[in-house]
Amino acid sequence: MELGLIAIGAGLAVGLTGIGAGWAEKDVGAAAVGAMTEDASLFGKGMILMVLPETIVIFGLVVAILAVFVLGA
Amino acid sequence: MFGRKGKEKKGNYAYAVARVKAKKAQLMGEDTYSKMMLMSLPEISRFIGESGYQKEIAALAGRYEGVDLIEHATYSNMANYFRGILEATTGELHDMLASYLEKWDIWNFKVVLRGRSFGMNAEDIKEDLVPAGKLDQQALEKLLSLESEEDIIAAYGKAAGVVFPADLISAYKESGNPSELEDFLEKDHYDTLLRSIDPSSRPTRLFQDYIRKEIDIKNVETILKLKAEGIHGEEVMKYIIPGGKQIDKKLATQLANAETLSAAANDLAPLDFYDDIKEALDETNSLRGIVAGMKKYHIRQAKTFSHLYPLSVIPIVDFMIHKENEVNNIRIIARGLNSGLDLDVIKELLVI
Repeated sequence: MELGLIAIGAGLAVGLTGIGAGWAEKDVGAAAVGAMTEDASLFGKGMILMVLPETIVIFGLVVAILAVFVLGA
Repeated sequence: MFGRKGKEKKGNYAYAVARVKAKKAQLMGEDTYSKMMLMSLPEISRFIGESGYQKEIAALAGRYEGVDLIEHATYSNMANYFRGILEATTGELHDMLASYLEKWDIWNFKVVLRGRSFGMNAEDIKEDLVPAGKLDQQALEKLLSLESEEDIIAAYGKAAGVVFPADLISAYKESGNPSELEDFLEKDHYDTLLRSIDPSSRPTRLFQDYIRKEIDIKNVETILKLKAEGIHGEEVMKYIIPGGKQIDKKLATQLANAETLSAAANDLAPLDFYDDIKEALDETNSLRGIVAGMKKYHIRQAKTFSHLYPLSVIPIVDFMIHKENEVNNIRIIARGLNSGLDLDVIKELLVI
């Protein structure tokens, strides 16, 4: 039972941060593509800004790993 | 939450604003105008041909030269920019911009109708079109190819979604003077535009305020122009566009009834843009100075709110205002130099 709850928690940590990152990337990506349409040299900057929200998922992943391997052990 | 319907309704602000910001970075600065004033016309053509107007200058250089080349290239460039932005937007953003750009549809309609009534040939009329609104070049050429002027009016009404009152059409048929139709379109344009803006959010309210101030400026311009021609009272009120921010019907009537420009000055005192036109009103009484002062105020208004809401219609409208201003400034410099105007006079006319 406890292990099941830990697994659900880990899943939520990754899933919800994934949704959050996607929500943030929606506008950043659209803006980056818009800027690149005008000036193709902005690809590098656009790419960096685009992946910044991904860090949220990494936090979620760390929390999930801690939950499964530390709490679950 | 992620429904297509919702997205379509709201519009693609992030994409459109990013594109517009990149375009705005390429606009000319104040020092560029000073530099251009010291150039000859062919030098100006070459200069703008190297800074953002390449495509249009290259395409038109074979057909025009001098001022004509600069005028056609700048308008054509502006039309391409505006249509590009309009085509890149969706949802309510697209609707608001389409309503805002409808003024160019009205411009084109006027060009076509007046051109036809003066018996100009289709090719000459085509050269003066600025397809920056909802109606693209193809739609305008279709309008131009129609047999009679009544057909043009009917086809424009259908394409632009405007219902002309029957009495205006019959009055036009009788007199052949399209000015009443044009006035109707102008009023209808502002009415549609104000209705297309949903004032529920702060940025759209700012946009609405901006348009209402534009109406004020237009009304004052109309009143002063007619006053300079010696027309007062009820006759003036026919041309007043309703919906202004500071000038309501009462104040408009008061201004319209004032006998002279100086008498109207007292009534203008409480208005926001009075400080910008005060000098021109007090000292020179020149209509040109007053109109330039109001335009400067209007551009300053756009600047004050352009940075406030990055993901809204405001940065896009701000770019359009500045682009149009840039095009007007280039044309003022080119026309001024061509007609041998003093550099100080040209400088006074520029809106920077």
